[in-house]
Amino acid sequence: MFKELFLQEHKKLWKKKSARLSFFLCVLYIVVFGSFLNYQWFAFGSSGGDYSGFGNLFDGYENIRKMQEYAGQWEGKLTDETLQEMVRDYQRMLREAEAARGAGDTRREQQYAAEAQRADQRSINSWISTLYPELEDSSQTYPTLMVRYVEPDRLNGFYERRRQKVEEFLDIFGHTEEEKEYLLAMNDRVDEPYAYCWVEGWRMLLSNMVSDFGMVMAVFLVIALSTVFAGEWHNGTGRLLLTTKNGWREIACAKILSGIAYTLELFFAIAAGAVAGQLIYLGTEGWDQPIQYIKLIAVAPVNMLQAEIFEYAYLLLGAVGLALLVMFLSAVAKNNFIALVSGLAIVYLPMAMAGYMPMQVQKMFDLIPLVGSPTDIFRTNVFHLFGQIVWSPYLLVTVPVLLGCAFIPFTVKRWARRLKR
Amino acid sequence: MELSIDSLTKHYGSKIAVDCVSATLKPGVYGLLGENGAGKTTLMRMICSILKATSGEVLFDGRDVTDMGAGYRNILGYLPQDFGYYPDYTAMEFLRYMAALKGIPRKKAVTRSEELLAVTGLEHVGGKKIKTFSGGMKQRLGIAQALLNHPKVLILDEPTAGLDPKERVRFRNLLADYAGDRIVLLSTHIVSDIEAIADYVYIMKKGSFAAQGSVAELIAQAGGKVWELIVEPREVPAWERKATISNLRHEDGHVVLRIVSDVSPAPQATVCHAGLEDLYLYYFPVKEEN
Repeated sequence: MFKELFLQEHKKLWKKKSARLSFFLCVLYIVVFGSFLNYQWFAFGSSGGDYSGFGNLFDGYENIRKMQEYAGQWEGKLTDETLQEMVRDYQRMLREAEAARGAGDTRREQQYAAEAQRADQRSINSWISTLYPELEDSSQTYPTLMVRYVEPDRLNGFYERRRQKVEEFLDIFGHTEEEKEYLLAMNDRVDEPYAYCWVEGWRMLLSNMVSDFGMVMAVFLVIALSTVFAGEWHNGTGRLLLTTKNGWREIACAKILSGIAYTLELFFAIAAGAVAGQLIYLGTEGWDQPIQYIKLIAVAPVNMLQAEIFEYAYLLLGAVGLALLVMFLSAVAKNNFIALVSGLAIVYLPMAMAGYMPMQVQKMFDLIPLVGSPTDIFRTNVFHLFGQIVWSPYLLVTVPVLLGCAFIPFTVKRWARRLKR
Repeated sequence: MELSIDSLTKHYGSKIAVDCVSATLKPGVYGLLGENGAGKTTLMRMICSILKATSGEVLFDGRDVTDMGAGYRNILGYLPQDFGYYPDYTAMEFLRYMAALKGIPRKKAVTRSEELLAVTGLEHVGGKKIKTFSGGMKQRLGIAQALLNHPKVLILDEPTAGLDPKERVRFRNLLADYAGDRIVLLSTHIVSDIEAIADYVYIMKKGSFAAQGSVAELIAQAGGKVWELIVEPREVPAWERKATISNLRHEDGHVVLRIVSDVSPAPQATVCHAGLEDLYLYYFPVKEEN
């Protein structure tokens, strides 16, 4: 019987315009704009001059292939020599383009400029600026990438400098000796030297895209689920439902389960679309590369695929946690509008306030579902739990959903209790 | 089968909505008559066990209904006064949903829903969205959902509100067929409905029962309290101010007033046959409302 109740409740949720529209808009935004158009146009379209939207042409697919092809020539272990060669080659292309411009040969100028665009300049520049800050030329008249002017021969001691930078960073960040020891032990498990391949796609995916999915998903989840319980009072069906045999605990459980089912459906639609976009545009190349390519001072010994799985797991469990909290608010508020506003406040108020709060409070806020960021996998935040040091991603992935689960009994009780008025 | 209401009381702060009400209901149709705010809906909600009583209890066959929980709700059918629905549901979908809530297996739910759509005259609109229904159609759907689980205790709060005369007759017939060995309690403002259906009537005033009995007993209580008086048309406003007039009609240039009063309103007034409506006006005089 419970199965039938769940199916009916699930059907009812999907009959709501707010749920259908939220699903459609969320998938449209994330899969179409956040994934496909991002690859094809906004992020990886080649620079196309002033006539193109976002300054890019609609050629991301071809451009990514060219970038991967260019990076292919440097494949192998990333050593000081390889890094120097890559920088030299990039600077050569810039010089060629400059010379062509001086000779008034526009066609060749554009050809070299286009070639230079294919170089993995953003990744390389981030490594150089992180590891060799003393090479920065402050006389540059406008902010420019170090990779454009730095002397390649001076780029030595890549892995030693990285280790040194990690230690410096841990000091600056105010970690205790015990925490440093814990984090450096993690760092020691990172395989060196790295094998080079094109990772710009992974950088965008893991640094921005998946964490942005969470922020967008939160809005639509709140809109869709804030009416699960409150809607019964809005429709005037609450009292009627409470007089039925299964109208108390059973229906509360069926409603909660249908809310979770909706969350899973939304998540898998988004994840399937986004992963399809990723596979089509980026392929699988680089899945086994360390995440240190994206953030050099990250200490976690995980590769790109593991980081992606973590980020999606964070998104999924955070979304379920948020769904459960929103349904609790819906049961308490008995008013669609109040449930909606308080649901949005749960996510966005801590986000807005975090910047003004002490670090410890910010870290606590991060444990609220979808308030934190899966990009903590690149960071060195830690929590202290029962005297043990715990790396923040472990808690960020578990606490939000546990928090949501902790509210289930209160949601059921709130719905099933007899009315006072 | 017996539903006992024992000293049921409900306070909202200092306001007493239901004041120590007691009654014993056995199979049959019971009418609850009273003006707005008399406490009918509050009493019905407490009987349905969705509203917490301040004191007192409701017992079904000697067992407290709150302790019976799902067992009591399984034998209960309820039509609330403000019957809500899901606008985008069809009538059939709504009944299927309610059937799931009532724990009726899927196959039985389909059969029973079809049966009740036919009984309530909604069989041709079962696939239409409820938001397209008239007020009367929605009310009939509400009655259908209350009957889904063959309830032994049927509580109907203002079931005839919004029904046109034809629909009201259909409802009365439906209830007459259905009542049998069940306890049916219905509240209404429409005295004629109670008069036609109810075996026993409670008149509720300011949270307690002001009178109770069979229709005949109550009408007998009003005996000698209903008068007819012939007056000039210009005198009518004055009589309306000083007496409770249950009816007036024009006859040969004069006006015949039907007045509810303990004593003769005028020497020339004559006693006439009383009805339940007269008794209602006796307890809830028009001038008091003004």
